[in-house]
Amino acid sequence: MVELVLNIVLVLTSIVLIVLILLHRGKGGGLSSMFGGAASASLSGSSVVEKNLNRLTVFCLLVWAICVVGLGILLKV
Amino acid sequence: MLQAFAAAFRTPDLRRKLLFSLAIIAVYRLGASVPGPGVSVPAINSCLDQANSGAQQDVYSLVNLFSGGALLRLSVFALGIMPYITASIIVQLLVVVIPRFEMLKKEGQSGQAKLTQYTRYLTIALAVLQSTGIIALARSGQLFPGCAQELIPSNSIWTTIVLVISLTAGTAVIMWLGELLTEKGIGNGMSVLIFTSIAARIPAEGGAILQSRGGLIFTLVCVLAVLIIASVIYVEQAQRRIPVQYAKRMVGRRMYGGTSTYLPLKVNQAGVIPVIFASSLLYLPQLLTQLQGDSTGAVRRFVEDYLVDQTSSVHIAVYFALIIFFTYFYVSITFNPEERADDMKRYGGFIPGIRPGRPTAEYLQYVLSRITLPGSIYLGLVAVLPNFFLSVTQEGQNQNFPFGGTAVLIMVGVGLETVKQIETQLNQRNYEGFLR
Repeated sequence: MVELVLNIVLVLTSIVLIVLILLHRGKGGGLSSMFGGAASASLSGSSVVEKNLNRLTVFCLLVWAICVVGLGILLKV
Repeated sequence: MLQAFAAAFRTPDLRRKLLFSLAIIAVYRLGASVPGPGVSVPAINSCLDQANSGAQQDVYSLVNLFSGGALLRLSVFALGIMPYITASIIVQLLVVVIPRFEMLKKEGQSGQAKLTQYTRYLTIALAVLQSTGIIALARSGQLFPGCAQELIPSNSIWTTIVLVISLTAGTAVIMWLGELLTEKGIGNGMSVLIFTSIAARIPAEGGAILQSRGGLIFTLVCVLAVLIIASVIYVEQAQRRIPVQYAKRMVGRRMYGGTSTYLPLKVNQAGVIPVIFASSLLYLPQLLTQLQGDSTGAVRRFVEDYLVDQTSSVHIAVYFALIIFFTYFYVSITFNPEERADDMKRYGGFIPGIRPGRPTAEYLQYVLSRITLPGSIYLGLVAVLPNFFLSVTQEGQNQNFPFGGTAVLIMVGVGLETVKQIETQLNQRNYEGFLR
């Protein structure tokens, strides 16, 4: 029962997490900034939207992590 | 050196950046050791032991190296940063092919942001593909050939779906961590994460060599590693200085310019990116055959014999050629001689003996293409050399070996870049840096 709930929550948070991360503006992200876009990274500070998005993402990440760890523990027991 | 470290930690915002980077690295390593949902840890462990003791060929060596050993453990961060790298390469190559992408690239900042966004979508798509492939492999028992344990005990399709989705989410999280690291931390997020993965495997691999080959070989390997590192740094720091003379100008009542400086052109302008790209690109055909599933097909046989097997001469030649290609490709993307010549003209600078404007751009292009040739050959040689003679680890695992070739190049390159970035931050406050 607990496993089923955790699984469902895990799938839901995973999808939400992917969507939230894709919603971020990938500024200065990864290799693409190395491709001649170096100056663009520092031009804009983090906006309010971005800040709230960060908070939501971190919250989602925590729930997701708890689900993963919980499932791992369940499988071991 | 130590004083510089102390100074770095005494500067408030630099300290914040360093601590933030360390925290991100910690999260990344933590995630790499958490098993995915539904994966049996005891089975994985026994299979890993078996794989380490036997001299079997590790097909996924390089990917496993890039993910810091997380791939074979089927942890939630199993795919590591690889899908993101592959996606970046694909998008950058498509810029040359698809006119719309080229338009976006020329558009400047907003177009660039759109390209980044495409890269991120592509990353997720690749992550889904790759995680499905890996899990299919684990299910059919091909991830560890010869190990009879059930890696994923439950046989329902539901478990597989959950695993695929959570691995994809893990990849998205890594991508986000990398972006955060670039934005708020020190260094380029993606390369720092790769650096961490490789560095995390050094103690284990070193121990394995010490155990299986004895002290003499181990010392030899260490000496060789130090030599490689020293030579890599030597070439990495080499640059050609093109003298630039600035004319004196009067602006209002002040006098500007009249100085003579130089334009540094590094021998290895591209850094470690070509190596990362070439090795990721070599992995692509393997990914495709993996999805095909069937292990006896002629195409798969061909790919495994010629492209994946690191001792085959075809693999070495292709790898070498790819590195040279990507060095030129990357240099042409990052350094634009026309732009540089225009900038110089605007501020009244010129290279002695060469007229400003187009001749200058041509001259820069000429020097750059000549200086990149030894740079690219050097990159290729260092990456490929271990395949020839460094057979101290198991057969065919040479690139997996953190002291050789690709791994050393990436580690030294990223380390130097990051230290340089810390140093510029320190210099802003007039502190003595790490490098003299």
